[in-house]
Amino acid sequence: MLKQNGPFAYNAKVRMKWCGLACLMAPLLITLQLFYMQTFRYDEYSDKAERAIYNYLDEDRLRGDIFDVNGKFLAQSVRTHSCGVSKRYVKDKNKTLQFLSDTLSIPKKQIENQWNRHRNFFFVAKKIKPDAYIKLLPSLRTSVGQGLDLTPEYERVHPYGDSAIDILGAANSKNLGLSGIEQMFNTEMSQKISKRRAKRARRGEVIYDRSLKEQRSVGSLYLTIDILAQYYAEQALEKAVKDYEPERGLILVQQPQTGRILAAASYPRKDGQALAFQFTYEPGSTFKTIAIASALDAGTVSINDSIDMSGRKWEIARGVIVRDKQHEKDALTIPEIMAVSSNIGAGKIALELGAKNLFYYMKAFGFGTKTDINFNGESKGYILPYNKWTVVDTATKGYGYGIALTPIQLIGAYSAVANGGWLMQPHLVDRIEYADGRTDKKAEVQKIRRVIKQETSDTMKKVLEYVVQEGSGKRARIKGYSVAGKTGTAEKLSKEGGYATRHHVVSFCGFTPIENPQFTILVILDNPAKYTFGGTAAAPVFKEVAEALLTMQGVPPDRPEELQPPAKNK
Amino acid sequence: MKIFALVFAFSVFAFGVAMMRIEVTRSGRAIGQLHNEVEVKRARNQYLELEVLRLQSPQVLQTVAQQQLGLRRTLPQNVVVLED
Repeated sequence: MLKQNGPFAYNAKVRMKWCGLACLMAPLLITLQLFYMQTFRYDEYSDKAERAIYNYLDEDRLRGDIFDVNGKFLAQSVRTHSCGVSKRYVKDKNKTLQFLSDTLSIPKKQIENQWNRHRNFFFVAKKIKPDAYIKLLPSLRTSVGQGLDLTPEYERVHPYGDSAIDILGAANSKNLGLSGIEQMFNTEMSQKISKRRAKRARRGEVIYDRSLKEQRSVGSLYLTIDILAQYYAEQALEKAVKDYEPERGLILVQQPQTGRILAAASYPRKDGQALAFQFTYEPGSTFKTIAIASALDAGTVSINDSIDMSGRKWEIARGVIVRDKQHEKDALTIPEIMAVSSNIGAGKIALELGAKNLFYYMKAFGFGTKTDINFNGESKGYILPYNKWTVVDTATKGYGYGIALTPIQLIGAYSAVANGGWLMQPHLVDRIEYADGRTDKKAEVQKIRRVIKQETSDTMKKVLEYVVQEGSGKRARIKGYSVAGKTGTAEKLSKEGGYATRHHVVSFCGFTPIENPQFTILVILDNPAKYTFGGTAAAPVFKEVAEALLTMQGVPPDRPEELQPPAKNK
Repeated sequence: MKIFALVFAFSVFAFGVAMMRIEVTRSGRAIGQLHNEVEVKRARNQYLELEVLRLQSPQVLQTVAQQQLGLRRTLPQNVVVLED
């Protein structure tokens, strides 16, 4: 037993105290050091710790969807993965390659070839579908999966195939828009969301820590395009391409009362290459509608006027002769000029109107100016200022030469004729709906300006109906419906100078029904391999598209008398 | 004795904290895997929905209607719109 009062007992107590103090000193110093670090050097060390422990996983970029006017998906981003191989980390080459071949359904030989071609890292497959990904994922923790790397990415999926792809454009695997609408609205549609914090673990394994909350404001786009109308337009264009083998072709459909674009089909079909906005051409006779509507509106000619055609030959200026070979008459009325597509008639009317007035009307109709659609690569066309026009320039502009315009400009002008004289703002995007509930309406009906009077519009409708009933546009007739339109067959500029007689742009632009127009349709075939005209090649395409659209919308016939069977003779 | 009691209590506390950290890590790993699973299933579901859309597209419907059912598109004058 220990002595309570002896020096040993005293010594033992003191020693225990000292020992205890010595033991506590170390944690105390550590605590002090921690206090110092946590208080005075907090930022430095927390930053170091953050980087050592956590891994910030970039969740790529979110991207909104694209819908048609009826809310049908046109483009959507789907999460996929790409599978890469780091050769130096692969344990058993044969086993790993065999596993990849079986899982990804890629011939082993092909993967081996890639293996031999690359020094270290290469991608075996991109856009791996979820089913294959599920099979690949567990392997990463086994020896066969060593050296494999699964990188998240997105695939932009179009459920309707490449329908409307020329308008939609493309987005890459990082959800960035590259062309077309995807690029135009990249800011509104895509959002780089904040990173997700995760702990570092072996072989890229994710140990979830927490998500950094961020408000999502990515927008989804609703177009004015109707995918069914687009399909009909693309189908008709494909058929026309097969029949006439043009270099390029396009069909554009607009609602004349609202300016909304319902369909815009292009050939060749490439993402972001919408010819409706990017193609510039000399329109030829489809432009006569504009020149004659302008002259009627300005009052320089009247619908009852008769234009001299003597000899079907007209010398505009010395050495510049225009001939009409398509008729035998010495005088033509305005509807007849349009029906036979007389260049002499249109040229004389343009001269009568005068360069300044014609230029004013052309600008008022929207030629030489970009539309506010602002599609990538949209052209504004080309019109020389009127003070630089010669007499010949003024006359030839009357029948659509010496100017360059885009299809969207021409269809806008025809829609103005159809809707009573108003140039409407064309729209391709109806609205943007954001994830936070906001809606940005883009396609408000907007009248840009009155271009021609209501009476001029009414007169021109009759003239254009006459063209389809009795003139060059007969093949655009639809039984039971009134159709108005104008054909165009323009010679193309030759590389050697002047015009190439065997290279044409054939077109037809029109609308239906006349009293309450529902669709303005423009068909253009650029340089068809087979020699043809607007009335023979483009007008039937117009008819095909118009019939499909009238059926689609359930538009009742406005000429029901044409549907009655002919009365039998007694 | 008091000191030992304190050290013991501290040890228990430290052990508890360590166990909690282990549990947090384990749960984090499980949540991470579940997150991944959800993402994959969501993507799979998306693909299936898109496949349904593809099958409803005018191209597919027209091909089926024409080739399997012998149907053809009607003309607009044959459409009767019933008013309400």
